[in-house]
Amino acid sequence: MKSIKFLLTFLFVHISILFSFAAETDDIFFRSGKIYIVIGVIVIIFIGIILFLISLERKVKRLENQININE
Amino acid sequence: MIKHWWKVLGAGLVLYSLIVGLSVPLKSGVLDVSPSMLQGGKSYDLIINTYNATFSDENPIDVWIKVDDDNALAARAVKVLGETKLSAHFDIPNYFPNEKENWAYSIIINDKTNGAFIRPRSIAVKFDQINKEIWKNNPVGSLYKIDKMTFPFRSVLYETIRNTYYHVPMWFAMTIIFLVSVFYSIKYLRKKDPLVDLKVRSLTTVGVLLGFMGLITGSLWARSTWGTWWTFSEIKMNMAAIALLIYLAYFVLRNSFDDEEKRAKISAVYNVFACMAMIPLLFVIPRVVTSSLHPGNGGNPAIGGEDLDNTMRMVFYPAVIGWILMGIWLATLLYRVYKIEYKLLDDDV
Repeated sequence: MKSIKFLLTFLFVHISILFSFAAETDDIFFRSGKIYIVIGVIVIIFIGIILFLISLERKVKRLENQININE
Repeated sequence: MIKHWWKVLGAGLVLYSLIVGLSVPLKSGVLDVSPSMLQGGKSYDLIINTYNATFSDENPIDVWIKVDDDNALAARAVKVLGETKLSAHFDIPNYFPNEKENWAYSIIINDKTNGAFIRPRSIAVKFDQINKEIWKNNPVGSLYKIDKMTFPFRSVLYETIRNTYYHVPMWFAMTIIFLVSVFYSIKYLRKKDPLVDLKVRSLTTVGVLLGFMGLITGSLWARSTWGTWWTFSEIKMNMAAIALLIYLAYFVLRNSFDDEEKRAKISAVYNVFACMAMIPLLFVIPRVVTSSLHPGNGGNPAIGGEDLDNTMRMVFYPAVIGWILMGIWLATLLYRVYKIEYKLLDDDV
């Protein structure tokens, strides 16, 4: 269930980012030879890895709680 | 540290692809030419807008309208209007040596600082007569070559050609990771070791993550080059989405079993089938269907042809290897967490 939830959050975050981009008209896409598209692609990949790390941290936290090393 | 060499290699290659992929400039290119419809027998001042070129009055600049391999029309005079803007004066003759009327001709710009660059099919010329005899043969002269490392300039794509190093390796890494997970699924079915099942689970999770990153980055790229976030007429995009949905069902399937062994066994079988479904969806159907916006579909793979030149290969292949290693690294981290979880549960019981 965790991984599904994680993927849904991932999708939701990205779709909202994409739509916020769209709101700023086409201008941002086509300025400077479309270099902002490349930046956007790298940012998306970075966010994907960050989300993976967050979900991994939550799993580790759960294990920590289980063996009570957090107290 | 010796044990971790492949992680260092993976991260290093990804870093290399980021640094080189972003810092190497594009080759000079022609953005637009106006007017682009010319009439035979008249004179024109063509205004040429270029990208990533710096012109100055000091170096002579040649401009040609290339008719075919043997024939070209040189500009009578070239004026520098701005750093990236040229004006070229052409006297279009009454006769052209081509067999076709209203042919689309290429424009070639040649100067010392930027090297020679071409815009294919950018000018149409209408002429009243075709006459091979009267046409004065005037081939393109010697062209300058610059040694600087550049990425190719493609109209419509422009700088987004760099996405080849970030969007495409996602799919390569996803495919490899799914194939590795199938290997472990088969191993599970032979050995029935629950830890192997956890390996499959972590690999598929990372594979789906890479797939979604590929899908979303592709959607953003599509917005800038195809003009839409999503199109149902683009076969590869939709097939990739279907393949990912099949893999999402893998997790749904896993969660619907309480019995551990049953879950592991059925999801291992499902994973083999999911991979068997993914291969035709991503690699066969897009090549069979001829109308695809992705390069190289409806024929040969994109990386074999003109879509990837040698400078791009120097960044693209390291990026692919880097992302495969990064994906495996992420999967091993996830696997170790699952393994600890499993051992803890085992101790409790």
